[in-house]
Amino acid sequence: MNTAWLFVIVAALLFGIGVYGLIIAGHLLRKLFAINIMGNAIFILMVAASGSLDGSPDALPQALVLTGIVIAVSATAFALALMVRLYQLTGKATLQDDEDADD
Amino acid sequence: MNLAIDALIGLGLVILAWQTISGRSLFRGIVLFVVFGLTMALAWARMGAPDLALAEAAIGAGVTGALMLVAYRRLVQLHPEEPAQPNRRRSRLALPIAALAAGLVAVIGLGAVSAEREPGMAGLAVMSELADTGLGNPITGVLLKFRNLDTLLEVAVLLAAFLAARTVFADEEKSPTPPRGDLPLVGALLAIIIPLTILVAVHLLLAGSREPGGAFQAGAVLAACGVLLILSGRLQPATRMGLAVGLPLVLGLLVFSLVGLAALVMGAPLLALPGLWTVYLIETAMMISIALTLVLLFAGASGLRRGDS
Amino acid sequence: MNIVEWIAAGVLTLGAVFYLAGTVGLLRFPDVYSRLHALTKADNLGLLLVCVGLGLLAADWQVGALLGTIWLLGLLAATVSAHLIARHARHGHGQATTNSEES
Repeated sequence: MNTAWLFVIVAALLFGIGVYGLIIAGHLLRKLFAINIMGNAIFILMVAASGSLDGSPDALPQALVLTGIVIAVSATAFALALMVRLYQLTGKATLQDDEDADD
Repeated sequence: MNLAIDALIGLGLVILAWQTISGRSLFRGIVLFVVFGLTMALAWARMGAPDLALAEAAIGAGVTGALMLVAYRRLVQLHPEEPAQPNRRRSRLALPIAALAAGLVAVIGLGAVSAEREPGMAGLAVMSELADTGLGNPITGVLLKFRNLDTLLEVAVLLAAFLAARTVFADEEKSPTPPRGDLPLVGALLAIIIPLTILVAVHLLLAGSREPGGAFQAGAVLAACGVLLILSGRLQPATRMGLAVGLPLVLGLLVFSLVGLAALVMGAPLLALPGLWTVYLIETAMMISIALTLVLLFAGASGLRRGDS
Repeated sequence: MNIVEWIAAGVLTLGAVFYLAGTVGLLRFPDVYSRLHALTKADNLGLLLVCVGLGLLAADWQVGALLGTIWLLGLLAATVSAHLIARHARHGHGQATTNSEES
């Protein structure tokens, strides 16, 4: 058991929590938390799996993850704007399907 | 001992993520999410990725947290009572699907970790190639030399997110934030913090070519400056975007594209950067644009004007 | 471990104890004002002790100056934010006296 293995396990757990949260969350803000947690899990996975933890640091995955963090913030900002607008127009911050559908 | 610290951070991440997802109050969820981001920064530092630690603390935790708090405040303003808490969905499939997803990630990760590393891999080739570019920080080198088109489009995506967010609220009248009683303590804080923040941002930018740092981290730190000025009423959101806001907003995209096209005109490949000074030029322009975009996203407005106080 | 490292370890542990006390106070005290006391006083002392401990370990005046700056900035941020929160509570917003977890 070394650091890379440990963080891969952490990434897997975080991703599972994110998927679970995404499915059960009612409020859209909570779904955004879940999506961001899933993203962070994948970032950890990319850096941990690149082998930079045990040997020489690998700049490629780190640069990819840096791009990913900025893109995640951009997407989150747009999603938050959509959520507030939806709340303005309908008074709800949930998706229609989440209330009707039962499966 | 080291493994114990890593295990503690990992455990903290998992618990925080679970609390964020399953807590009762939305506000509490936002606070926990920010704490999660800061713990992620610790994890990056432990994983030997200080650039990512800086980016996560400034962008992942700071900016995302601020944007979520602003969105939450607007939800509360629309309906003053606690925003309706819809019941959690009951789904029998949620747990199995989540377990499957986690298993998939674990299998991929463990497979990649235990795979043999070939000597001719891209990462090693990049490192040897970067040695003679004068960029001591390999991350900045990769971003501007090998993935320059990605980095250019990354700035474009941030701008597109801002424009899309503005389009969603196209017909909305922006009410100015009411002027607060000017507290002497806040003025004193701003007088100290604003110059220091600008200093840190410029340091991150210049250090970005050698040490951890870069345009994105510096832009996020600079954006914190603007957020402080908005919160204290020194800057007010405006409905119209003047040239003074519009030009810096696209400056990063503009300078990067022009330098890249100039390279094409001079016979070099598209976006090939001729020297170290172009790196500084592009990074400075990108920092200004990124900071302004983030501040405008926070303000939820198209423009900014000076406050009355 | 030589004598300096022992002293540094002792100071760091003491700092952690103050942090713990501050956090327990934050969670357990009944109203906003006493919580602010716990948070600002105990944590500022804890931060000072941690900075002193790290400075002793580093034995470098540049690192020491940086740590001192960090402590001063921490003091500044704690002062102003505590002032703003207390003012906010005094003007009747929020729940100044209840022990609700979510205020």
